[in-house]
Amino acid sequence: MKGTYLGELEELVLLTVGILFPEAYGVAVMDEIEKQAGRSLNISAVHAVLTRLEEKGFLKSSMSEPTEERGGRRKRIFVLTATGKRALEEANELRTQLYNQIPKMALQFRLA
Amino acid sequence: MSKIHKNIPPRWADRFLQWYCRADLLEEIQGDAYELYNRVARKSKRKADLLFIWNVLRFCRLRNIKKSTPSHSTINPDMLRNYIKVAVRNLYYYKYFSLLNVFGLAIGMSVSLLLIALISYVKTYDNFHEHKDNIYTIVSERIEGVQQLRYATAPVLLTEKIADHPKVDKVVRIRAGFSEEIKHTQGSMSLSGYYVEPDFLHVFSYTITHGNATAALTKPNSIVITESAALRFFNLTDVVGKTLELEHGGLFEVGAVMKDHPVNSHLKFEALISYTTLPEVNESINDQWMHYGREYVYFLLRKDGEVKRIQTELNKIAQHVYTDLPIKATFETQHLSDITMGPDYRQAIGPKWEMSGMIAFAVIAALILLPACFNYTNISIARALKRAKEIGLRKTMGGVRNQIFFQFITETVVITLFALGISMLIFMLARTEFQSMLAAASSLDLSLTPKTILWFVLFALGTGIIAGIFPAIYFGGLNPVQALKNKIHGRSSAMRIRKVLTVIQFALSFGFILALVVFSRQYRYSMGFDFGFNKTNIVTVPLQDVSPERVLSEFSQLAPVQSITFASDVLGLGHSTTWVKSASTDSLEVSQVFVDHNYLPTFGLTLLAGNNFPEEIWQRERFIIVNEAFLEAYGISRPLDAIGRTFEVERNQLEVIGVVKNFHYAPLRFPINKFFFRQHPQRIAHAHLNVQSKDPNTLFTQLETKWQKISERKLEARFFDDELYEGYSMYQTLLKIIGFLGLLAITISMLGMLGMVVYTSETRAKEVSIRKVMGASTYNLTYLLSKDYLKLMLIAISIGAPITAMLFNMVMPKIQYYSVTLNLWDVLMSTLVLVSLGLATIASQTIKTALTNPAETLRSE
Repeated sequence: MKGTYLGELEELVLLTVGILFPEAYGVAVMDEIEKQAGRSLNISAVHAVLTRLEEKGFLKSSMSEPTEERGGRRKRIFVLTATGKRALEEANELRTQLYNQIPKMALQFRLA
Repeated sequence: MSKIHKNIPPRWADRFLQWYCRADLLEEIQGDAYELYNRVARKSKRKADLLFIWNVLRFCRLRNIKKSTPSHSTINPDMLRNYIKVAVRNLYYYKYFSLLNVFGLAIGMSVSLLLIALISYVKTYDNFHEHKDNIYTIVSERIEGVQQLRYATAPVLLTEKIADHPKVDKVVRIRAGFSEEIKHTQGSMSLSGYYVEPDFLHVFSYTITHGNATAALTKPNSIVITESAALRFFNLTDVVGKTLELEHGGLFEVGAVMKDHPVNSHLKFEALISYTTLPEVNESINDQWMHYGREYVYFLLRKDGEVKRIQTELNKIAQHVYTDLPIKATFETQHLSDITMGPDYRQAIGPKWEMSGMIAFAVIAALILLPACFNYTNISIARALKRAKEIGLRKTMGGVRNQIFFQFITETVVITLFALGISMLIFMLARTEFQSMLAAASSLDLSLTPKTILWFVLFALGTGIIAGIFPAIYFGGLNPVQALKNKIHGRSSAMRIRKVLTVIQFALSFGFILALVVFSRQYRYSMGFDFGFNKTNIVTVPLQDVSPERVLSEFSQLAPVQSITFASDVLGLGHSTTWVKSASTDSLEVSQVFVDHNYLPTFGLTLLAGNNFPEEIWQRERFIIVNEAFLEAYGISRPLDAIGRTFEVERNQLEVIGVVKNFHYAPLRFPINKFFFRQHPQRIAHAHLNVQSKDPNTLFTQLETKWQKISERKLEARFFDDELYEGYSMYQTLLKIIGFLGLLAITISMLGMLGMVVYTSETRAKEVSIRKVMGASTYNLTYLLSKDYLKLMLIAISIGAPITAMLFNMVMPKIQYYSVTLNLWDVLMSTLVLVSLGLATIASQTIKTALTNPAETLRSE
């Protein structure tokens, strides 16, 4: 099902929206990802992911007050929904679960 | 803060964003873009601008783009079926109008079909060459003083200059103008072709069937002939090693035989002769650069080469070579595919389809087509009332403007496709006649190919759209409420445009009628023209290879032959020119004909002063007989004063022995100019026999028997007047063309008017009936219904007449110096023709309406 799957970039954006609460909007998310993960994304890519996440029901949005630096335009502020939060938890859990199943040997071999 | 406000991102990018972006996403997207812009703009405006543009472009994703009005898709197969069904039903219910429309459009399209067939054929020229994409020729523009002439030829020295260019694969020169009589068991046969270099066969693709062509084109006096030429001379194709003997001496050995080249080739030849056959050039280098003989340069560009580079090289060469020469020239490359239907050049190698001619043809085709389209538009809009209910209903049921628009376009296209069928019939009928009218018709193939048919259909679709677009827009914009209530009124502006266009149509038809009248008068005028010499009872015999003495001795034995005279050219058809020097003035160019002492009496030319040529032939040329125009040029006022004066002609001092009255030595196209008769037995080429014979057939049989004694060739005797008038047969062709086009134009305008009249008669039927009940006579009513159209016709004539007259009086003297001028009678006659045709058309309908029993129309109320 399309709705349940969470892509890698989607997960990153979803997490960033969570971090930035309650000031998560396009440019802020882009800046935060660059700062935290060192990935420089184009604003349009961030937008695409944000809208997709909203369509999937992981985010919801509302318009803020107009600001001057945006030429008097409003921001669309995104916040996590309950489904979004659960999706993050599930993803996190799955990851830890999978990580923990890796035999110690394998990790050591890698390190060596 | 104030600084930030000064920075505004590029307006066009911002607008572009607003244009494509979905309204619900625009605010945040634009906001983000602005925020990022302002952030960077603090450091660098340029960088910020670039970033903004980049972001705008990146935002241009499918999900951000506005959807076009999503509700109704116009082209829906189901609806299309409905449109076609309704269209066919309408065609069927209103048979009369459908017939008018289909027939009118068919006639209108027929000329364009000829044009399309012609162009699509001409486009296939030279497409059989393997390297066709990389073959170029070099054309030149020669500038001498103020005169700039464009030649298809180029100085051959260019070949050496560009042969070493790294991007040029091969260069070949072609010398045109090989045209010789070849000896043959039955007299002689002509053979024509080009002198070429061996590489010719590497640049152009021809199939060699026998022998080694490259070797043949390397040796002097060696020739490659086509299969058809081989069959003509030897009755077989494998003729390698055989020889061809020229009439004028010289032997050629056949080195190879090639397949005939396809007819759609701009190079046309039966034979290729090795370039080495030509004598060594002994002109100086400078003269060679100034000489523009019949030499053509072609080159094959390497596959990786750019023709621009060659062009630059040519520019350099031209600049360098002509610095110290009295003339200047520039060279230009021309691609193989542009040769046949390209700009007009002097000395083009093969028959050409000049661009100017094509454009003239296209203009004529458009002049015929557009009125037909207009008629359709006109009739459709005029009849809007009939369709208004249907459209009103469609709109009420949810049809939008685009759908109605598309429906009417479909309908028109259906009609034009029907029209195309009829038009193709006209095309088939006119094709042969059309082909025979064109000069280069021998190699013209207008048969239908799938490709031309495809073009025809596309053209019909285009015509349908042009004709249908205004009715479609009009119907699409109808207000459904008014439409359903039958409250459609023609907009007054539409009415005015309609009238203007009708007037233009009639003016055009009038122009054609006038042209027909004037040209037929011009033809009769030329036929009855007094050339200033006797032209009856004279038989012209080209001497070919027979000596004048033998002709004289044989033919003078015949009873009907009164006298025989000899001349170099046929009077009124051809003459040569020479340069005359005199002590007082610069050299002047004078036309000349070489004759003997019997010439003046035979042709009845009047001597104004002096004497005829003496009978005895002098070793050295001594005398000339000049015309009045010659005297005028040298400022001699009295003919008598000219006698005895000498002029230097070709290094001989010639004495004026007589002066003749001016006469038309040249075709009527040219004015009478300086002219003289000379005596020179070696230049004699024709015999003129003054004959008295009741029966031309016996005469020609007698001549034939005598001729066979002295020559192996065929006798080519003809009556002088027949030959003279043949030169004016172009008027017959012209009359045919104008007649055909005029017929089409007139038919179209009459059909258009018929449609309008039928429509008015229908809509005014009740009015007419009431008037009739009130006592109006049939004549009154007919007049009432006709007067508007009559008025339009008269306006058209008063506009068309002066324009046509001006055009004629400008063009006619160029066609023929001695020409008729358009006069009032021509105009009156044409007016009569147009008005009576128009009245007949109108009357056929209006009288019917006027005669209708009022009870019939009023009963239904």
